[in-house]
Amino acid sequence: MAADHVSVKVPNWLLSLVPVALVGLLVVVIFAFNPIENLRDVPAVERVAFERTTFEPGRIELHLRNDGPDPVQIAQVLINDAYWRFEASDADLGRLETATITVAYPWEPGLPVKISLVTSTGVVIIHEIEAAALTPEFDVETLGIYAVLGIYIGVVPVSIGLLWFSSLRRASKKWLSFFLAFTVGLLAFLLVDTTGEGLELAGEAAAALDGLALFAIGALIAVICLMRLENALEARKAGREGLFLAYLIAAGIGLHNLGEGLAVGAALAAGEIALGTFLVLGFALHNTTEGLAIVAPLGREGERPALSHFALLGAIAGVPAITGAWAGGFIFNAAWAALAFGIAAGAIAQVIWTISRSIRGGLVTAAGTGGFVAGLGFMYLTSLLTA
Amino acid sequence: MNRRSFIKTGTAGALASAFLANQNPAQAQEHEHSDVTGHGGNMTMGEVDHARNGFDPHEILTDFDYGEVSKDASGRTVREYEFIVENKEIEIAPGLFYPAWTYNGRVPGPTIRATEGDLLRVRLVNSTDHLHTIHWHSIHPAAMDGIPGAGEVGPGEEFTYEIDAKPFGTHLYHCHSVPLKMHIQRGLYGALIIDPKEGRPDANEMVVVMNSFDTDFDGENEIYAVNTVAFAYAVRPIKINAGELQRMHVVNITEHDPVNSLHIHGNFFNLYRTGTSLVPHEFTDTISMGQAERHMIEFTYDTPGNFMFHAHQTEFVELGWMSFFEVE
Repeated sequence: MAADHVSVKVPNWLLSLVPVALVGLLVVVIFAFNPIENLRDVPAVERVAFERTTFEPGRIELHLRNDGPDPVQIAQVLINDAYWRFEASDADLGRLETATITVAYPWEPGLPVKISLVTSTGVVIIHEIEAAALTPEFDVETLGIYAVLGIYIGVVPVSIGLLWFSSLRRASKKWLSFFLAFTVGLLAFLLVDTTGEGLELAGEAAAALDGLALFAIGALIAVICLMRLENALEARKAGREGLFLAYLIAAGIGLHNLGEGLAVGAALAAGEIALGTFLVLGFALHNTTEGLAIVAPLGREGERPALSHFALLGAIAGVPAITGAWAGGFIFNAAWAALAFGIAAGAIAQVIWTISRSIRGGLVTAAGTGGFVAGLGFMYLTSLLTA
Repeated sequence: MNRRSFIKTGTAGALASAFLANQNPAQAQEHEHSDVTGHGGNMTMGEVDHARNGFDPHEILTDFDYGEVSKDASGRTVREYEFIVENKEIEIAPGLFYPAWTYNGRVPGPTIRATEGDLLRVRLVNSTDHLHTIHWHSIHPAAMDGIPGAGEVGPGEEFTYEIDAKPFGTHLYHCHSVPLKMHIQRGLYGALIIDPKEGRPDANEMVVVMNSFDTDFDGENEIYAVNTVAFAYAVRPIKINAGELQRMHVVNITEHDPVNSLHIHGNFFNLYRTGTSLVPHEFTDTISMGQAERHMIEFTYDTPGNFMFHAHQTEFVELGWMSFFEVE
């Protein structure tokens, strides 16, 4: 009768290891006896993602990843439907393994290039380049060029926008609410933009890496981290709510500009774009508004932050465009880019939430709604300049 | 707004040229030079394991099968053959394996060689799961035609074809079971060469079967070749002697493309259409051939050196149908 009360002291940690041990056993059984072997009497699924293709004079380099469920052996390489000699770092690709293939080929700038991999089983995996273009070399000069690009699309316009601070200080409460709501509208536009682009990149990433999950994980982590940060700083921001909000907005915009720089840098490197005068003008107008958004909360509180704060705000919002341009130009990878865009989208969403709560009367006052709609509309109209 | 697509259509850029002047792609080709000889970079990588395949294009070239020879009561020459249909994975380019259907484990199948008037007795044994035949491009009775209903052999079964060797010429045999395109493209074909009774002048004789392989079965070929292996005679040229008469039997069994062709470098050849004449029809260096067309050509190289021969469909050249004679 005492059976119920007989208790063998099994440590809790040992109990928790039981499921782990059983899962381990399951893995062993599956590998040892292959119970689903009969279900797999179908041809192997051979998939290879072209993660990056670079063009040097007389030379094409392919960075590949096996993103299918089965191993892939690359037997031959065709360029424009002709077998071509190549060097492979590894022609036997296990699941998720990467390889680099180098082909000495007299490619011509501006012409399309069709690259086909023929696997050992005769499957053909095709990657088409719309127009071949020299891949920028990783040197000081090119880094400089990309930095200038980042400064043009990020640092300069944002810094100019910060100059609105002095006029905001003299604005009435109604107008301040209007400009805060304007900022929310602007950020909402950037959120849509970042999300759209991030999802597109997610689709381009190697299927096995699940770009969509990377995007979503990035966004959710950004949201929770910013909330935690806000919480941690709660006590210290007393009396300086405006400055605190400004930094939050600058961070959100900075992450967005990181993605923007990444996209532009990658497109430039891939020869997909040509920067035009109109384009740079468009960026200037479009991103100058981002500066206004950053200083909008400062006017309300009547704060007069030191000049160094403005420099820092401008740097936080603008400099990531340079980093992004570098990353996009030299180490672009769609999967990591999707993650980066997810982080930016999450950060922007969190900033929208925080600012919205801080607007007196919220967004549904005349000034709030007017500002919100104006922010969306202004961003849309200036975006047309870059279209 | 899509920051990558929008700029694609962007206006011509003054700033862009300022930014990117040093990256002008027009300078890209300055140092471009191939370090590969022969056919430049346009070549497969690696080597085909001919031993594993069980056949070598260089051996197929001059491998004429005269059969088991006997005489019947009337003194007529009888040539007996056994063809076993078997499925076999063959390496058609280095590292690239194709699920072939074969006569006697090779693609093309054995080259049958007889003299006009001989009796050919070919026993077909089917070791596969599909129906198969041997259809002859020759003059023969309907019952020996090798089509569904006349000499078709089921799995595990066999049938013996008896045909007269006529007319003399360069001919072809292939499986005629359905689906026809599939049975041919998988490798069930070969050359049938019937010599005229009076014979021909001495020559170095070769047989080349133009074929192709659609490795991913999408209706377009990934490989073009003669005697199956892409670039086989470019990787290792065919050695021939200067001053010696060369006689080549050329058979076109390319699938998916209606026309193949043959062009030889640095020389002209005498063309005997379908090999059915003792005098040449034409003197040329290029001949186009429809599916199942075949010809006999004769030529002599006077000077040593490497001479290409290949299809003049450049697309086929780049996909493997490129070869060399090494004249010594």
